[in-house]
Amino acid sequence: MENCFEIENLNLYYGEKQALKNLNLSIRKNCVTALIGPSGCGKSTFLRCLNRMNDLIEGCRIEGKIMIQGVDIYDPKTNVVDLRTKVGMVFQRPNPFPMSIFENVAYGPRCQGIKDRRILKEIVENSLKQAALYEEVHDRLHESAMGLSGGQQQRLCIARAIAMEPEVILMDEPTSALDPIATSKIEELIEELKKSYSIIIVTHSMQQASRVSDDTAFFLLGEIVEMDTTRMIFNQPKDKRTEDYITGRFG
Amino acid sequence: METSLRHQRNAEKLKRKMRIDKAFKYLFFLAALLSGSCILLIVLFILIKGIQPFLPGYRYGQMDLLQFLFGTMWRQDQAVYGVGYIVINTLISAFGALLLSFPISVLTALFIAKIAPRKLSAMLSTVVELLASIPSVVYGVFAAGMIVKLVKWLASLWGISTAGGSSLLAVILLLAIMIFPTITSMAVTAIQAVDHELELGSLALGATKTQTNFKVVLKSAKSGIFAGAILGLGRAFGEATAVSMVAGNKLFGPTFDLFDITRTLTSTMLAGLKETTGLDYDIRFSVGIVLMAVILVSNLILNAVKEKVGNHG
Ligand SMILES: Nc1ncnc2c1ncn2[C@@H]1O[C@H](COP(=O)(O)OP(=O)(O)O)[C@@H](O)[C@H]1O
Ligand SMILES: [Mg+2]
Repeated sequence: MENCFEIENLNLYYGEKQALKNLNLSIRKNCVTALIGPSGCGKSTFLRCLNRMNDLIEGCRIEGKIMIQGVDIYDPKTNVVDLRTKVGMVFQRPNPFPMSIFENVAYGPRCQGIKDRRILKEIVENSLKQAALYEEVHDRLHESAMGLSGGQQQRLCIARAIAMEPEVILMDEPTSALDPIATSKIEELIEELKKSYSIIIVTHSMQQASRVSDDTAFFLLGEIVEMDTTRMIFNQPKDKRTEDYITGRFG
Repeated sequence: METSLRHQRNAEKLKRKMRIDKAFKYLFFLAALLSGSCILLIVLFILIKGIQPFLPGYRYGQMDLLQFLFGTMWRQDQAVYGVGYIVINTLISAFGALLLSFPISVLTALFIAKIAPRKLSAMLSTVVELLASIPSVVYGVFAAGMIVKLVKWLASLWGISTAGGSSLLAVILLLAIMIFPTITSMAVTAIQAVDHELELGSLALGATKTQTNFKVVLKSAKSGIFAGAILGLGRAFGEATAVSMVAGNKLFGPTFDLFDITRTLTSTMLAGLKETTGLDYDIRFSVGIVLMAVILVSNLILNAVKEKVGNHG
């Protein structure tokens, strides 16, 4: 099977402090990869490397290679703006723009210079359908997105990312601010989305990782202790620390 | 266990606590009453004084209210007092200043809050604060010495002669400079209050920094920026000293020509206030009422617009 990301010898420093230590891994295409581990172990940091959001953090320094489609995203020739259209991101707290539902989804395409109202409408409708939100909002597309519930807002953020037709969608604990029903809706959605996209999801819930993911990487103190198929990680972990963590005897 | 909190609580202390609470409530009420009645007193005083000339039996001869409100001439030597054209002049100069100052202020605010490196940003913020604290008479001297010369020079390029540079344009330029720090500092505050996650969300969608700044940051800060514009406009309406120094006090109007002299409500109230008596003195209070009405109505309209264009949610 093809890989969407190949990461070689990745080290990351916040000033003097090393937050990621020599990571080597591949992430499979059209799979859901879960990143688990105690908080502060570098999951979000790693995720932000993949669409270069770390570039925005002062004093952050990165070594190593991250290859997507055969190109190193940290190569000086790589255009960050272009990279981010290929690698979408959904944040921990839903962050819809203070605009209408329609404008939220149309935002990305508009920034790419798409102006044709018909095309935008089609993109918005398709994205909302893919994000399983269309049924709930089709009659109020031009109302403010701030009026949606938390779970709907998060699905809107997913629709917004989908509108760019990215290769990969990064999700950083996308359900941690949501109630159980909204959470299960998003989990179903992830199941559906992986047919068209590669998904990398940070989660602090073991159940969520085992429910939605194909592969799981266990992070500890900036290192990857173990990465394997989710079934292996949860049934036959090779490392004692992984076993301790997933059985809850840890962190 | 005498020291434990549980033993410290008793009815006596609770009563005392409630008494203090009540006392403070009255204190706050008193403070509000005092400031409220001050405003009321001022307004009432001006209203009463300003209405006098239009009442029958006014000792310098009753004035015609309609002629006053819609008149297009103001000549104290002929006892003709028409404020209509002055209202239009005032609106033109205040909104002209806003139109000029607003885009520059917002872009400056964006630069200070989002684009400039930290040191430069701190420096610019200080400069804006300093500008806001310069007394208006100093601006007036600057305008009378510099802006007027600039206007004169500009006019000469078109072969137009001016009254030594005193003109509508000079008033607009002066007011634009004076309201710039007001709008800018309000806009900086509004922009800084925008949730950083919105910006990250935009950047993560492949928007450039510039697209993010204009489409997300400014849009989210819209209502705060608008409040700054309203405050700036209020200052432009109310500025008297500096405006009087470059307006030229035209006797009739309204003035639409940028290089022509003009007359605003404030400059009318101020001009020769100390040397005059009788009707010419009293009528200034009537102008004061008109000025308050103009400001009130403008604010109401702008606030309605603000609600309309205001943020979603
Ligand atoms: N912007 C930052 N500046 C400095 N240190 C940071 C920053 N973000 C995260 N860190 C540090 O990097 C480590 C990993 O953080 P993070 O990636 O957020 O962990 P996780 O998402 O697994 O909880 C933590 O020790 C954290 O304190
Ligand atoms: Mg995190």
